[in-house]
Amino acid sequence: MNEIAIVFSVEFMRKVRSRIFLLATLAGVFSIGVMVMIPTFITHVAKSSADYIILAGPEPLRARVATLLQRHHDFHIVYQTDQLPQPMSLSYLEEHQKAAAAVLVSERNKRLHLDVYPRDAAVFDEVQFRNLIPLNVELATGATAAQTENVTRIDRSLHPLEKRFADAHSATFARGIAFGLVFVLYFAIIIASQSVMSAVAEEKTSRIAEILVATISPINLLTGKTLAAAGLAILQIAIWVAGAALVLPHSIFTAGAEATGGAASASDSLGSGASAAAATGPNLIDPGVLVAFALFFVFGYLQYATLYAAAASLISRTEDLGMVTTPVILPVVGAFFIAQYALVEPDAPFAVIASFVPFISPFVMFTRIAISVVPVWQIVLAILLNAFLVAACFYVAGKIYRIGMLLYGKLPTPKQVWNALRA
Amino acid sequence: MLVVDRVQRSFGPVVAVRNVSFQCDRGGVLGLLGPNGAGKTTTMRMILGIYPPDSGSITWNGKPIDRIVRKRFGYLPEERGLYAKMKVRDQIAYFGRLHGMPEFDALKRADVWLERLDIVQYAKRPCGELSKGNQQKVQLACAVLHEPELLVLDEPFSGLDPVNAQIMLDCINLLRAEGTTFVLSSHQMWQIEYACDGFCIIGQGEVRAAGTLAELRLAFPSRTVRIAPDLPEIRAVFRERGHGEPLNDADGTLRYDLPAATDFGALLRAAVNAGPLESFDREEPSLNQIYVRALDGTAQQERAA
Repeated sequence: MNEIAIVFSVEFMRKVRSRIFLLATLAGVFSIGVMVMIPTFITHVAKSSADYIILAGPEPLRARVATLLQRHHDFHIVYQTDQLPQPMSLSYLEEHQKAAAAVLVSERNKRLHLDVYPRDAAVFDEVQFRNLIPLNVELATGATAAQTENVTRIDRSLHPLEKRFADAHSATFARGIAFGLVFVLYFAIIIASQSVMSAVAEEKTSRIAEILVATISPINLLTGKTLAAAGLAILQIAIWVAGAALVLPHSIFTAGAEATGGAASASDSLGSGASAAAATGPNLIDPGVLVAFALFFVFGYLQYATLYAAAASLISRTEDLGMVTTPVILPVVGAFFIAQYALVEPDAPFAVIASFVPFISPFVMFTRIAISVVPVWQIVLAILLNAFLVAACFYVAGKIYRIGMLLYGKLPTPKQVWNALRA
Repeated sequence: MLVVDRVQRSFGPVVAVRNVSFQCDRGGVLGLLGPNGAGKTTTMRMILGIYPPDSGSITWNGKPIDRIVRKRFGYLPEERGLYAKMKVRDQIAYFGRLHGMPEFDALKRADVWLERLDIVQYAKRPCGELSKGNQQKVQLACAVLHEPELLVLDEPFSGLDPVNAQIMLDCINLLRAEGTTFVLSSHQMWQIEYACDGFCIIGQGEVRAAGTLAELRLAFPSRTVRIAPDLPEIRAVFRERGHGEPLNDADGTLRYDLPAATDFGALLRAAVNAGPLESFDREEPSLNQIYVRALDGTAQQERAA
């Protein structure tokens, strides 16, 4: 069994059996569960009272208004009545599930008129009632509801030139997934890199380092530790994802199903575009995106972890970790923010250039792959550059690590580090 | 056989080791002596391949020390460390595996050493929970598990109480009997004097004296003579031969430091003739005296410079 494999297996098992790993993993599952549940909570609990309204007015006008207002889930009508009490009071809203407003509908001069009694005037504006426009047309022209809808419907055919996403919903879904994965990428790289950093610092400060580097090659030691931390991070992410999957069917997949249903209903009016939407099927994560995620996670992680390890090898006391962490954490944070920009403008020149810049590339190129159509040559170039950078990082970090692990006392000067690199 | 031949190592402008040479036969124990900062640890690190020498060569059985050879070496550094949360048995086995032992063999040998060092009861405890003495035993087990051909011990007795120091000494003797070669450094002269069969005294990165104890004594320029009782007639014998007055001693004996080439037989006969002689002892220089003198020479050279 070679040195890297021994270091990997012992480091991996040592960490995976530790209490901190168990706690962090459980905390991660809990956090993901909470994050996944928040939108559902907001939809079903927090959002409800703000959208509750009392609808008043004569039939059949009131029924037609109720149909139009509820079609797009803009409002939840908690109570319907012919008349509102006069004068209207806040207590009336309180009595009806703390409704946000009472709306009295009537017809005046062949137009729909709304008397709105809101709890907070700022919450209700004209835009929220735009779905009632067909009713205004019906009252003005005497047309039936079916006729009005036929007139107000806009026929639209979608012909996506890049063929990546069949419709806007698929693109939005992909963007959401990309955002989530970039977030996971960021945290996974930070957590795993810091795990390597603390392992190196432990060996340095507890003075085991000297025995280790007298026994095995420092590069093999560094590689074994780095891979063990990567394995640990992957295991942790897998557990988090599995934990999240237990919650997901009730939220994201449900949302996906609703969206698919929405797309199906929309296809009535999409004409020929409907066939394109149907070809896309339900919103599932593109396997290619997952492959890109795995690939760029490995690249990004190895680049940052080796730097973190080299930085940790320079300190003599764990208290000094903060000092050396700051310079290496800044590129990760910067890369994350640039990836956010790439989420909005994936093909902007800045995003394209950033996808080849060392340490930023793993974030930005992955983001672009997830939401845009990136030319193959750009992907290949990014992979080659990242692979080269990983090799360079191991070379540089190995040199610093070899010298740094035996340096004790004050932090080495930049000149000493430079000399170590040249040695 | 370990041969260190004119090795030199600098760190920036500081020359840590300058033209150091010594050798140690297979199964021998070489004591590397010198004050703090003399270059002992750097020399040991060069033997272990942690630092490559800037010049000179180090060979083991006639071959340069590469990664394969290094696997057959063991090392106990002066500053010792363990993984605080790793269990004792696992830790010992881990270092065995790093030296190329299969996991099963490493665990089996770990059990032997746990028994031998009387720490078997701590086998499943995290190392961080052990006393300092027991942690040092674990560290020794880590260094010797793979039955190294060469064992490098940097201050092996440092911080050990007399009982644990004796256990360490017993282990050295046990391994020595099994054919292990040792290079060790220590400030505890009385321990190293009996444990080693060859010495190399380093000062300011240079070898000040080297050889077996007998060779070092032979090269020592003076001998101490103790004579009792303190009689004017006996003092006169030494004065007449140009040895001056005795060194102060509080126990009523006369003590003279005389050149090694002195005819001690003639001196004894003259002392016997001078008065009623109770004792006449010629003392061989101790390792401590040899050490101090070798380094004092360095200090004198520095002062002269």
